[in-house]
Amino acid sequence: MTNFSSLAAAAGLSGTQYRLRYEQSSCRLELTGLPDVTAAAEEGAPKQRLDILTNWDLILGQRANLQGKREHLEALVQAVIPYVRLLVSAQPRPLSDSKSVVTLEPSGERHHLVLRSSQPNTPPLELLLDDAELADLNQCLDQMLVDTRMGLNLAVQPPQPLRRGEYRRHTLQRRGQWLPPAIAVGALAMSSLLISLVPLPQRSPVPQLQESSTESTTKSEEQAKP
Amino acid sequence: MERLDLLLLAIEALDLHGSEAMVWSCQQLELKESFPDRVALWKSRCRNPLRRASRRGELSLGERQGLIELACMLSERLYPMLRQLLSSNEPEELNRQRWGLFRDRYNELVRERMNGRRGAIRQLLDPEQGEELRRDMVLTLAFCAGPGGVQRLEASLLDGSR
Repeated sequence: MTNFSSLAAAAGLSGTQYRLRYEQSSCRLELTGLPDVTAAAEEGAPKQRLDILTNWDLILGQRANLQGKREHLEALVQAVIPYVRLLVSAQPRPLSDSKSVVTLEPSGERHHLVLRSSQPNTPPLELLLDDAELADLNQCLDQMLVDTRMGLNLAVQPPQPLRRGEYRRHTLQRRGQWLPPAIAVGALAMSSLLISLVPLPQRSPVPQLQESSTESTTKSEEQAKP
Repeated sequence: MERLDLLLLAIEALDLHGSEAMVWSCQQLELKESFPDRVALWKSRCRNPLRRASRRGELSLGERQGLIELACMLSERLYPMLRQLLSSNEPEELNRQRWGLFRDRYNELVRERMNGRRGAIRQLLDPEQGEELRRDMVLTLAFCAGPGGVQRLEASLLDGSR
């Protein structure tokens, strides 16, 4: 759900300030900002557009209330969207390094979200989100990214198929499929080994006595010849 | 195709009127060209080689894209239910019953339509492995609901092709 409201009158601001709101059950994202009046209007662009972000708020139920600037929002989007992309392929793993402003990594059946403040001596905020809370956060960010009234041009890479090296075959298709060929090769190897152990049949030796008798007869025959 | 069809089957297991919703969603998404009627939709889904009565050949690009958009639109429609299943804040006993109901209906549909001699189907019907696979499917559907879901699912189905 999104709301768009002009706060100029309410806030007593000299310029027009806009607010965009994206809501789900456990998550609410609010962007507050100004239109860029100096920019030339693009064809087909909405008349009211939030081009300059002054502040954003992320309310995760009763657990946390986050605020930040544009770079923090960009870091949040760049941490959550690619991580969710991996979850769709059932390959959860951390993507960003531990020094990033926002990191998201699997932690048991939950997801460990760490937000580091840019202010010194402020400890990082750590949250454990369950699948439903992460799905809500993802929905809010998705809605924000496709909203034509949001003109922040946040840098987000479109989802890409995983390469062979980084992709563990999907469990449904491949799990256990190596087993039958492995059993077949193993059985073949075992049977060859057993066959090689069986002694080869020996030729029965010609009885020596018979040979010697024939030899003696031939000798006597030879002797008898004139 | 196998995974896409099994995701659509999960949608049917979650929603009693799932097959009707698919036909209705085809009209909403203007997929008349790829799926003019429910028979055409059924024929496309029968390209899944795991089916009991599968059809040979590959899906056309339009059919493939149409089925992805259909799965994402229906996931969005079912998002509250998917969220309930995945939430750790729901009452444990109630959620156990919900998962049990989903398991029974999903397994029934799998037995009815899929070839039980295939390894993947045996895994799905296996009490231990099946539970994990069904959870993966519900998770996939929940993350594919919403505006960015189509691109995400499309990319995921092409994993390992690069």
